[in-house]
Amino acid sequence: MARLIRTEKEVEGRYEEVWIVVDEDALDQWPAGPLTTVGRRVPRVDGLARARGQAQFTADLQLPGMLHTAVLRSPYARARVTSLDLEPARSAPGVRAAIGPADEDQLTAEPSYVGHAVAAVAADTFSQAQAAVERIVVDWEVLEPLLDPDEAVRQESFVSDVARYERGDFERGLGEADVVVEAEYRTQVVVHNSLETHQAVCHWEDEGITIYISTQYIWGIRAAMAAHLGLPPDKVRVICQAMGGGFGAKNSPGDYTPIAAELAKRTGRPVRCALTRREENVAAGNRNATIQRLTAGATSDGTLVALGGDFVNAVGFSGWSATTEGPMKMLYSCDNVRTTQYPAKLNLPPMAAFRAPGFVEGTFALECLLDELAVKLGVDPLELRRRNYADSDLTDDRPFSSKNLAECYRRAEPHWAKRDEVRARSQGPWKHGIGLASQIWYGGGGPPSYAWIRVGSDGRAQVVTAMQDIGTGTRTAMAQIAAEELGVPLGHVQVSLGDSARGPFASISAGSSTVPSMGPAVRSAAADAKRQIIEIAAQRFHLEERVLDLREGRIVSADGGSWPLTEVTGLLESGQILGKGARGPNPAGMQVLTFGVQVAEVAVDVETGEVRVDKIVAIHDVGRVINALGAESQVEGGIIQGIGHTLSEERIVDPATGSVLTRTLDAYRMPTIADVPEIVTELVDIPDEHLTNLGSKGLGEPPIIPVAAAIANAIRDATGAEIRSLPITREEMFRALREADAREKERRGAAAAV
Amino acid sequence: MELLRPSSAEEATGALGNGSRALAGGTELVPLMRDGLLKAETLVDVRGVVPRGIAGNRIGAGTTLAELELDAQIPQALREACAQAASPQLRSMGTIGGNLLQATRCWYWRLGFDCWLHGGEKCFAKDGAQREHAIFGNEQCASAHPSDVAAALLALDATLRTTRREFAVAELYRLPTEENRNVTTLAPDELVLEIELTTPDASTYLKAMDRRKWAFPIVGVAAARFGSETRFALAGVAPIPWLLDSAAALDDATPLPGTAYKIEIARALVRRATHAVKSASR
Repeated sequence: MARLIRTEKEVEGRYEEVWIVVDEDALDQWPAGPLTTVGRRVPRVDGLARARGQAQFTADLQLPGMLHTAVLRSPYARARVTSLDLEPARSAPGVRAAIGPADEDQLTAEPSYVGHAVAAVAADTFSQAQAAVERIVVDWEVLEPLLDPDEAVRQESFVSDVARYERGDFERGLGEADVVVEAEYRTQVVVHNSLETHQAVCHWEDEGITIYISTQYIWGIRAAMAAHLGLPPDKVRVICQAMGGGFGAKNSPGDYTPIAAELAKRTGRPVRCALTRREENVAAGNRNATIQRLTAGATSDGTLVALGGDFVNAVGFSGWSATTEGPMKMLYSCDNVRTTQYPAKLNLPPMAAFRAPGFVEGTFALECLLDELAVKLGVDPLELRRRNYADSDLTDDRPFSSKNLAECYRRAEPHWAKRDEVRARSQGPWKHGIGLASQIWYGGGGPPSYAWIRVGSDGRAQVVTAMQDIGTGTRTAMAQIAAEELGVPLGHVQVSLGDSARGPFASISAGSSTVPSMGPAVRSAAADAKRQIIEIAAQRFHLEERVLDLREGRIVSADGGSWPLTEVTGLLESGQILGKGARGPNPAGMQVLTFGVQVAEVAVDVETGEVRVDKIVAIHDVGRVINALGAESQVEGGIIQGIGHTLSEERIVDPATGSVLTRTLDAYRMPTIADVPEIVTELVDIPDEHLTNLGSKGLGEPPIIPVAAAIANAIRDATGAEIRSLPITREEMFRALREADAREKERRGAAAAV
Repeated sequence: MELLRPSSAEEATGALGNGSRALAGGTELVPLMRDGLLKAETLVDVRGVVPRGIAGNRIGAGTTLAELELDAQIPQALREACAQAASPQLRSMGTIGGNLLQATRCWYWRLGFDCWLHGGEKCFAKDGAQREHAIFGNEQCASAHPSDVAAALLALDATLRTTRREFAVAELYRLPTEENRNVTTLAPDELVLEIELTTPDASTYLKAMDRRKWAFPIVGVAAARFGSETRFALAGVAPIPWLLDSAAALDDATPLPGTAYKIEIARALVRRATHAVKSASR
């Protein structure tokens, strides 16, 4: 039965209270551990098609008569367009339409960051469109931009309210502390740089529009574009069959989709608007920079008695302010916590969610600070974390639906125990060390989400749901869940997704929510089909339903009977068995979170400032694992992206003008395969008994969260140097080494004086 | 646009000089044209007329970096410089002649800012984002020369033969001046044909990068020992490849606030290179 409930909905750490209609989730969870296909290592069902270039990405799409768009983007961080003449562009070769701020809301006459879209041209070819954009005549009144986040805080230039939080009494806690550490941490802007740039192809047909788009949320695009265009949602069809990376930046239509829609309307042709790599590096969203001024106090036995911080999120001109303070509030048991988060609004390109927004930045600072505290206390860093273990969510006194961080710590022990051995590898200028950092994050998903399944007379099943596979192996995981429940071989299940006109509503693929949101719906649909098959089989074989089951493509009875599934489904001829399923509610009154710990081994060349990551052991608790191989690849991807964030990636802007200087992949340095260390993945794989019929949480984001802190803490272990800002450039490494030297000299001096 | 395929060096130089450009591997020219930093109505494909291959001490200017890094006859400094440059794909296309003529990676220059090196009034890096910039020769322009190979050839004291002349590789480069903002002395219709190497007793190239592969040098240090004399040349530290008279000459660096850290790296690499060429042979 459908139930109407009032519930909290969480995406990327942001909550809203919503009414929601949920279906009961009556299925019992499967027993823990690997099953027939669920929990096993399964290669991607679409891997071969991808390797062969057969998968259809938005970037591959060629429609008859399709036009290409080039966008005039502001070269100024803040300006006013005093006049704009599109006529020279309109008369350029191949041009079919040109639009400006008067024609489309996404185009502005008051650009407020470098890359803000001002005008757009559709032409027969992309180079014609580019050439035409060059001919647009613009008069700019250039204005003084606001670029400094601290200055924005002084001017109270914010994108949203300042977020203040306190529990207990921070000042009193500080008074009780025997040891206090304070530090300022900075994190840089990094760019998603998905292999497939942001893009959409819009095509008007039958008073409606079809949008092919590289997106993480088909239904979000449908809703946003229906509202933008004033259309009933069912007149907007959104298609995304294969997707070349999003990492949080492709949850919304951006500027390119409305621009393509408007140009398509004007020309009567399909129109592609695809960002170039340069636009991708400027105006497609980013992980915003942060400044974090933190304090931690503990009693001499290592009990945290005060945690506090001012967190400045340099959000950019728009976007939202992520909970950089989240880890400080949630990771440890501490009675006195006070945080203030300032969402600075600047004349810089807007942020977009990027793989655990806020928590990546906040965990770097908090977990480095905790190690500084451990050094001062003379307590082992792992032990310090155990002493302050949180048994419930202290922000609202809710129990965790499950938490196996203690088990993660236990499994980290043998790796952590190698500290002396690793340090002993130090030779000449190369100093070796080990560091660790914990991870806390969301990842429980939620309703609503639906799936259908149809089983044909051949005994094969097709899962139908309008979700998207953003490259994370969703098709494979959903096929595994359906095959497991139906008791058919994995090869007998196909998954149809990626089209809002073909299948029911499905969850966003963001916030590590795809598997926990969609998996239970798919299982429930498969269970519905299975129930019907067993009902038919009972009648066919004159047996009671309760003695029948489906296994390995056969109907089996408790008394040893066994028939091929097709013996029942074959009776259908062209008929089908249809199952439908829905995602049930999250456990009431409980906080659903993911946990983990990573241990990094690094080497630092103290003469040249080079940092080399030798190994990262990642141990995470994300409930039941669906595809052990796919999960491992998610962990590896997260760690590699984390290494880029930690060591080499930085979007750099000119400090005077706010112009983005790193627009190409030679200036913006992502790790190459040579920068990838040995990665050891261990997943605890204990189902969350309170969460859905699967007990699975999401894994997309957790692995990137502790990487920077684990590496920085390993650097401290190796050299004594305290890293305070990302990326850890040679310059930052030298600064930290010089400070460590000075501290050491001072310590020796003090010791000598005694 | 027109693409010419001349059949002799004379024909090629005849076609060059009036705004046309020589094309070899294309790994630098094509991106520069695509980015609008370089305009040419005519491209002269010189691959058929510039020598390619290695014969003893002589290297055809059309030889790719990939071919050089594999040849055991080539001095270590040059081989290591080739092997640590760019990516395998780029090294398979890019020629040594073209590599010597590549432009700076200065982000202001690459993005077409109206900077001093482009003929404008000011160097934006001097008050701007400058961590990749110069520590020497940066009075007017703080750009850094990116060529690993040029530093190696400079340390090796190689000789260039062009369609016009023969000269030491050091003379290929000049610090840009108020009147002439070029960083090379090559005439528009002059082609590099051949490089003649010396035979050092030992040589090496050490490179500091932001990641382990496929990055331009933060600092690259080439060292070549001839008897008791060692020549050092640096990449990534000045608008042109920089010959360092001695390790002590690093004291004379004129870094920007954001580039001072490069001196420390250079010191370490010069020390290591000195040590490496002291013992090793070839």
